[in-house]
Amino acid sequence: MKQELSEHLSDKLAKESITGEILNLQPLTGGASKEIWKFEIKSKDSISKFILRRGSGIEGPLAIKTSDEALIQKNVRELGACVPEIVAVSSVDEPLGDAYVMKFVEGESIARKILRDDEYRAALTNLAFECGESIAKIHQADITDFSFLPKKTVMEQINELYKTYVSFDQPSPVFEYTYHWLQDQDFGDLNDTLVHGDFRLGNIIVSSEGLQSIIDWELAHIGNPLQDLGWICGNSWRFGKINKVVGGFGDLDDLLRGYNSISEYQVTENNVKAWQVFGTFRWGVICLIQASAHLTGAVNSVEKAAIGRRVSETELDIVDLLFSEGNNDI
Amino acid sequence: MIFDKPNTVELLDAVKHFLDTKIKDEVAPHLAFKLRIVENVLSIVIREIETGNDLSQEVISGLKKLVESETANIEELAHLIRDRKIDLENPELKNLLVQLSKNKIAVDNPRYSTYKKLIEST
Repeated sequence: MKQELSEHLSDKLAKESITGEILNLQPLTGGASKEIWKFEIKSKDSISKFILRRGSGIEGPLAIKTSDEALIQKNVRELGACVPEIVAVSSVDEPLGDAYVMKFVEGESIARKILRDDEYRAALTNLAFECGESIAKIHQADITDFSFLPKKTVMEQINELYKTYVSFDQPSPVFEYTYHWLQDQDFGDLNDTLVHGDFRLGNIIVSSEGLQSIIDWELAHIGNPLQDLGWICGNSWRFGKINKVVGGFGDLDDLLRGYNSISEYQVTENNVKAWQVFGTFRWGVICLIQASAHLTGAVNSVEKAAIGRRVSETELDIVDLLFSEGNNDI
Repeated sequence: MIFDKPNTVELLDAVKHFLDTKIKDEVAPHLAFKLRIVENVLSIVIREIETGNDLSQEVISGLKKLVESETANIEELAHLIRDRKIDLENPELKNLLVQLSKNKIAVDNPRYSTYKKLIEST
């Protein structure tokens, strides 16, 4: 399979005038639903590193095409946003399948390493500000360029998530309660923007110099920009560092200062809790979706089976947000 | 039970030990990540065998009192909330939802940050 992949890859890159021998093609630990391969190309006088990102055909209902992820990154890169350089895009009917190739970005994406290793300690102090700046640039993209992306209001997403949860026929008292609660919230009536949809540690590349790239665009859509700011503030993405509201590494104030330094629309701390509960509920339903791919037999994956038992993390976070008075998270 | 020793937990412990001591250092990095998930899965199963019954019963007995029914179950509670047939502001309901969530995570991932925070604060 690897040999075949290497040949398809070589053919595809040749069309983009990238030629040379493909070396060290190896799978990386990536998201639960996409294949990620690292490889090198040896040409006459140099060796260049690349990443292949490829749809596996078992993406959840919320995910966009891998080739569309590439189109978004090409677009926002021109705006100066911090995203990888795409060198080839393959559609689902090509031999390589739904995929793209990007230049390798030096740095780390594994959240626990970024939070733990000394190498990144200095970078972490400014990371929340940098994340704010970068996501604000992404939100400035012209949404008329993205007619292929779904447009989703927060309430539409809440209803979509709830319907998805109900379809799995595993009734959760906490999710039922959450659904009622979310429907009563005010998420702000902002102009639609491009929304990354999964902006957090794990989907950004960080080096000792700071933020290098925002990756993993499979949940991108058009909607309320506050979603990206709220998502990274959920406890699901703090990786155990519960007291650092932004991604387990930063403070909300720094994230918003970074955002407001770029954005015309000035964001305040208003109703962060609603976005945290929404984001946590959304992650819970995504866990259900992932687990169902295993449970229905679509794929036999211990990783996907295990994620079914992470739904309880989101339930606990939600009851903590809703019922713990004097919660020190916000 | 008619079965000989080792019991289920002891068997699973042996498998975990084998993976941890004989396999972990032998596999490629992307498989090492999956191996950790496999070990976590085994730990969930061990905890559920050892404590799952008590943790469930604790929630179910609270639920029976709350809804005043001897046959109440979690699915029924979900439907009562869905249809607003129970007062959503009832403090006993809120307490039960917290208890339910804590008891589930006690099996699924007792090292989870929010669980540790809630345990320490009580």
